[in-house]
Amino acid sequence: MPQQIEPPSDGSDATGDADRIVVAVVRTGGIAGLRRRWRVEPDPEQTPEWVALVERCPWDEHPDPAVQTGADRYVWSIHAVIHDTQHEQVLPDALLHGAWRELVDAVRAADTD
Amino acid sequence: MVGRMSTTGVAEESIHQGIVPGYLLARLARSSQFAHAAEAARQTLIKGRPEYRAALELSVDSNGDLIADVQAAPTRTVYDTHNTEQLPGDKVRGEDDPTVKDAAVNQAFDGLGDTFRMLLGAFQRDSLDGGGAPLNATVHYGEKYDNAFWNGSQMVFGDGDGEVFTGFTGSVTVIGHELGHGVIQTTAALEYQGQSGALNESCADVFGALTEQYTKDQSADEASWLIGEGIFTSAVQGRALRDMLHPGTAYDDDELGKDPQPADMTHYVRTTEDNGGVHINSGIPNRAFALAATAIGGKAWETAGLVWYRALTGGLSATADFTEFAQATITAAADIGASVETAVRDAWIAVGVVEGGVIKDASADRAPE
Repeated sequence: MPQQIEPPSDGSDATGDADRIVVAVVRTGGIAGLRRRWRVEPDPEQTPEWVALVERCPWDEHPDPAVQTGADRYVWSIHAVIHDTQHEQVLPDALLHGAWRELVDAVRAADTD
Repeated sequence: MVGRMSTTGVAEESIHQGIVPGYLLARLARSSQFAHAAEAARQTLIKGRPEYRAALELSVDSNGDLIADVQAAPTRTVYDTHNTEQLPGDKVRGEDDPTVKDAAVNQAFDGLGDTFRMLLGAFQRDSLDGGGAPLNATVHYGEKYDNAFWNGSQMVFGDGDGEVFTGFTGSVTVIGHELGHGVIQTTAALEYQGQSGALNESCADVFGALTEQYTKDQSADEASWLIGEGIFTSAVQGRALRDMLHPGTAYDDDELGKDPQPADMTHYVRTTEDNGGVHINSGIPNRAFALAATAIGGKAWETAGLVWYRALTGGLSATADFTEFAQATITAAADIGASVETAVRDAWIAVGVVEGGVIKDASADRAPE
């Protein structure tokens, strides 16, 4: 039977705690085809900073995958839970700039595990 | 593309490559002995010099005739973004320039040449588009950028993070793979999603492997069939990014996990990530190619590679799935001979795309797209 890769189990879809903030990033593709994952669940004192980072991102936009030509580029899947609000976006590497880039870089820097 | 002239005045092809020096063109244009060559030289001078290059080799045959072989040659340019992401960056080496101090620049330059020579020598293909397209590459892209990619018009190398990846310019299979995407883009233009995307990735791996084997003059039995050998740091438990002959065995690392490539259709991976698993399910056609090549024996580019190349360039649809591609390769193999057809068919049977001698409808195994 064909195998199935489950969607990212990053805990960001949990909504039990209204004060919870979780941001997770999954990077796939690239010539290596490696799946890398970073996740941050900041301490309460860091909440304003992370809320600002998340809310600066244009979550409602619909990125055009055709903007990414060629091959072996990354694909970024970004998930965020701010209190009871969930956000999700899938971005081609060519569109990872501005607020998206700041958020992804922050998550990667914060996840040192 | 070879132009051949002799002192008997027979021009088997007209001169139209730009490598012929201007003084020689002018001299030929005035020649009364080489009438055809003179006319070709005059036309070239009238039309202006083309931008692409060729190599001119002069020799004398056993009859004392002057033989001029004109053969396509690469036009390579390497750029450096100096750890920014502004492409293409500053030009740091062109076709006529000597080696530079930066090893990454020289490795990229040499890898572009290796790939060019493989395409020309194995398939008589003049560069990526068959028309002498320039080969451009950028090194030192981004900061600790863990990737090499084809952006639709050039290839781009990151330096790696130093923890998982070293630089990407040191692997000729990586360079051949990326330029292979350029060949695919100008031929079947396989859509980068699902099975057609996995075929795109697999054919790029085939070009990468053939570039290494052609450069080292290796037979299929001697080849490693590894893609990206040596680009992991010593901290990673792995031999390469992919193993074409044994998909799923290239690495098994505590941090990176295990190589997820399936070796057959039974283990086809359904996922929406990575454009529908293009870098994962490419293991299936990769293994079919490696099995066919090793079964046929000899130099892989001479037969199995030629079969795959003809399938890719012979009218394959952009949305081809594994079954369409398998059929195309079997048809191309049959044109060469029965034993080659058998080897190719058996390879597709081994990976489960062909079952019981019948091409299987793989739609049931396709990932949701």
